[in-house]
Amino acid sequence: MSSATRLTAHILPFALALWPGLALAEPLKVQLNADIRSNQPGVNRDAGSDSVMMNVVEGLVTQGDGGRIVPALAESWTVSEDGTRYAFTLRDGVTFHNGEPLTADAVKWSLEKMLGDENFPCRNFFDGSRGAKITEIAAPDARTVTLTLETPNALLLPLMAQTQCGGMGIVAQASYNADGSWKSPIGTGPFAFGAWKRGESIQLIKYAGYVPHGDAPDGFGGRKEALVDEVNFLVVPDISTAIAGLESGALDILPYISPTEGAKLRDEKGLAITAEPHGGIVTMLFQTDDPLMSNLALRKAFVAALDMPGLVDAIMGGLTTPNNSLVASKSSYHGDVQKQGYSYDPAAVPALLAEAGYKGEKITILTNRRSAINFDTAMIAQAMLQAVGINAEIEVLDWATQLDRFNSGNYQVMAFNYSNRADPALAFQAVTGSKAENANAIWDNDEVTALVAQVTAEADPAKRQALFDTLHQRFLAELPLVMLTNSLDVSAARPGIEGYRTLQGIVRLWGVSRS
Amino acid sequence: MRPMRPNQIIGLTLIALVLSAAVIGTFWTPFDPLRIDLRNKLAAPGLPNLLGTDEFGRDILSRLMAAAGTSTSISLITVSFAVCGGVTLGMIAGYARGAVDRAIMMVNDAMLSFPSMLLALALLSITGANKYGIILALGLAYTPAMVRVVRGAVLSLREREFIEASRIMGNSAAYTMLRHLLPNCLAPVIVLATTMFGSVLLTESALSFLGLGVPPPAPTWGNMLASARPHMSAAPWLGIFPGLCIALTLLGINLFGDAIRDRLDPRMRGL
Amino acid sequence: MLRFALTRLLSTIPTLLLVSIAVFGLIRLIPGDPASLIMGDLADTAALEAARQAMGLDRPVPVQFLIWLGKALTGDLGNSIASNEPVLDLVLRRFATSAWMVLIAVAIATLIAVPLGMLAARRQNGALDLGIIAMSTLLVSIPTFWLGLMILLTFGLKLGWLPVIGYVAITSDTKAGLIYLIMPVLTLVLHEVGIIVRMARASTLDVLRLDYVTHARAKGLSEAAIMTKHVARNAFGPTWTLIGLILGNLLGGVAVVETVFTMPGLGRLIVDAIYARDYPVIQGCLLFVAVIYMVVNLIVDLLYPIFDPRVTAQ
Repeated sequence: MSSATRLTAHILPFALALWPGLALAEPLKVQLNADIRSNQPGVNRDAGSDSVMMNVVEGLVTQGDGGRIVPALAESWTVSEDGTRYAFTLRDGVTFHNGEPLTADAVKWSLEKMLGDENFPCRNFFDGSRGAKITEIAAPDARTVTLTLETPNALLLPLMAQTQCGGMGIVAQASYNADGSWKSPIGTGPFAFGAWKRGESIQLIKYAGYVPHGDAPDGFGGRKEALVDEVNFLVVPDISTAIAGLESGALDILPYISPTEGAKLRDEKGLAITAEPHGGIVTMLFQTDDPLMSNLALRKAFVAALDMPGLVDAIMGGLTTPNNSLVASKSSYHGDVQKQGYSYDPAAVPALLAEAGYKGEKITILTNRRSAINFDTAMIAQAMLQAVGINAEIEVLDWATQLDRFNSGNYQVMAFNYSNRADPALAFQAVTGSKAENANAIWDNDEVTALVAQVTAEADPAKRQALFDTLHQRFLAELPLVMLTNSLDVSAARPGIEGYRTLQGIVRLWGVSRS
Repeated sequence: MRPMRPNQIIGLTLIALVLSAAVIGTFWTPFDPLRIDLRNKLAAPGLPNLLGTDEFGRDILSRLMAAAGTSTSISLITVSFAVCGGVTLGMIAGYARGAVDRAIMMVNDAMLSFPSMLLALALLSITGANKYGIILALGLAYTPAMVRVVRGAVLSLREREFIEASRIMGNSAAYTMLRHLLPNCLAPVIVLATTMFGSVLLTESALSFLGLGVPPPAPTWGNMLASARPHMSAAPWLGIFPGLCIALTLLGINLFGDAIRDRLDPRMRGL
Repeated sequence: MLRFALTRLLSTIPTLLLVSIAVFGLIRLIPGDPASLIMGDLADTAALEAARQAMGLDRPVPVQFLIWLGKALTGDLGNSIASNEPVLDLVLRRFATSAWMVLIAVAIATLIAVPLGMLAARRQNGALDLGIIAMSTLLVSIPTFWLGLMILLTFGLKLGWLPVIGYVAITSDTKAGLIYLIMPVLTLVLHEVGIIVRMARASTLDVLRLDYVTHARAKGLSEAAIMTKHVARNAFGPTWTLIGLILGNLLGGVAVVETVFTMPGLGRLIVDAIYARDYPVIQGCLLFVAVIYMVVNLIVDLLYPIFDPRVTAQ
């Protein structure tokens, strides 16, 4: 070793120590297209809020890759014979960001507080109104938490792992004010919630007391080690500006870009992008109560007019292929039956239209500008429909208006995306039901609703597969909606950013490093 | 009659060009402006698509021609709406003064105090984004500014000798307003109207940028410009051509506006 | 003068009431509501009803209005549905951002545009005039989002002189704050110059034709003296009104520029609130904007006689 290198080797660490802001303190800068709505997990939330909170809090269990349920705060759990009692054993040595140890009592308190909060929309998954019914939460000893259900429910754990519910993240009592109102999250995740400049930025700081477990990141579980000291979420609403920011180095990661933008960034700027399908579903919904669209022959003509590979290729920037099944393409239940899809058959359309008694009535497709996928779907589908003589028109609404039309059922056809569903049964649950009870239900058929209820309660994989197969065959025969493909998580990162992924719409910051 | 000046000739030529494009575009375009051809996306200008194609493979020249009619008619109707409303109310308010003035200006100020873009945004959410919604929303949004400018001009003219003279001669208020006030406040009205004309073309594109506007697939220069933005680096012609159409139309209108103004101005007459 | 100001201030009260009623009615005519936006695709009918009830949206609109008005009179504009922050804090903070940007931009634009407009009028129909008209037309016809993005790509990315993303309040760090303001201000200046030049040119032309200018010429005064002493002051009147209108309008927020340059300003707040159906924020913002607008116009009217002696403030 030359004296010069030896000198450098000795002096450099001191120089770095004296100048701490030099290399290590540069935060990881991540784009958010809108400010988070709140920092309370699962309450007053949207996808961006979930995204931030999933890095700060952890639930008892969470989703691993492929949607499996994996341990999080609970290192293991048992289910009683009759399927109504779940006992979770807490991981040892876990502390909240304020240093308090995680105890069974703290978990019980946090869960009860959450489920008692009327502003927590996921509450209805656990109070019996649309899923499981939890009757008791208990802490028999310092490391055991038990949940008691009224009736068995095979989906309890997937429901608890939903990111829309903030992953049922456990927070310390100090997260609330003395009067019970929300203050600020003190969770157990790899990052602690730092400064929040509303409308501008959110800072997350590496929690030094986090004890990683496992070998590698696995979905939202596995090894969750923060490799950067600080993360800054910057609110940048305009995508062109964000892309300029990525090129200039003002941003390191664009977690949410549309597939077509992703393909463009890759082709034109040579940036590394990741694109992975998740359980979100990209659809065109039919209002089967509509005088026109209630006609099955007309719906068949509509679907036969759509060149599925061409349509999906265009709206997804060539990054994925069609999946006409509500069972996600990555799901272990996506088998040979689910691979059957619609057939493109423009020649058959005239006969179907004649059978339907269609006389050129106007069919309006609703869409919005918020989702490039919805917008492009409507544009391209309209052209394909017009080519075979179906008089399709487009109406572009703002998102809130379209959501209102969705919830009231007031439409003929609508381009719509459902967010990620952790289990195929939940995807079926999202679209089925009685229109009289819930105007936003799409597929209103009592037999089908009963099948969905059955698959929801069923725990045996083989039996579930059989039920999913039956459901898919009925789905293709009844055409209550057009299932186009699964949503994609498309993200772009600057060169030198390693290990980043957007997972089911969530920004996953652990395991991310900068070289 | 004075001979035409060069800038007036340029102005008239530009307007004639735009209008003929609008008329022809209504009946004939080289290709179907709505026809999607996904195999021919973002084609550069050349043959057969003289000005290239957009992100859905639609012919840009055809879309520009089809848009000429939509864009100019939307702007024209909106501006006429604002001019008619604004001139009438502004003259009445400025001439009558007193309680009438206060009442008109109260409502006017209330409307003016909504930024026009936001008023249009809110109204469009109610009417739905379509041609008539835009005309109504922007027409309503632009009227108050016209009222204010006309009223200001009338207030200042009111003090002039010839208005005083007309009043002393016993002319009716309506006569005085039409014969003496109207021609004399046309200058600011024309300036504002020509600015508004362009502003409507642009606001429509800004509304498209913010998420509302004339709904696709029907083309307007504004929504073509707004949807071209993400493709700016790969396909700059997408934005350049509609932008050029807007700029040339505005230049024509402004030069023409100045020409009319010179002719309408009573003190310029016979010079 | 003082009496005029006071009367004008008092006369704004009915206008403000009108504004509040209009805003309240208007935003509730827009389809969609915050409850369904919060629930997204997880909503069911019962949960939606519960959420609407929790927000007080199940009551009749006139009742909601009276409750809101009662609180507004005590200075409480309510809390944002989206962020739960007090609306007044939110509005004031966002307004500060927009105001700095707009005031600087309009001041610079006026200083550039008024002399240019007068120069063009002086050389009416000459090459200089045509050039100035063409330039101002070009500037007016470039959409601000386009112009802004071009500036961003040029100065932020290609040349790398200015930061592309981020924002520092000028009050917390003057130098950094100014740096972040350069690009948005430049965008606004270029656009407003186009508008103001035309008005300044037109009103100068008007004044140039008046008898006293001919008198002044007959007296043998130099053209420069005529322009600065006689024409400038009188020609500025209508331009001043226009600047007032521009200022009032811009202070309500420049949503497009704020979006391109990621400035947390008032315009973006209102647009976001309209999209999120955040009723308290929309109401509070528009009421605030109305007040600002009226104050600006009052000031413009009070100062008008200074520029146009033919009008007396009454």
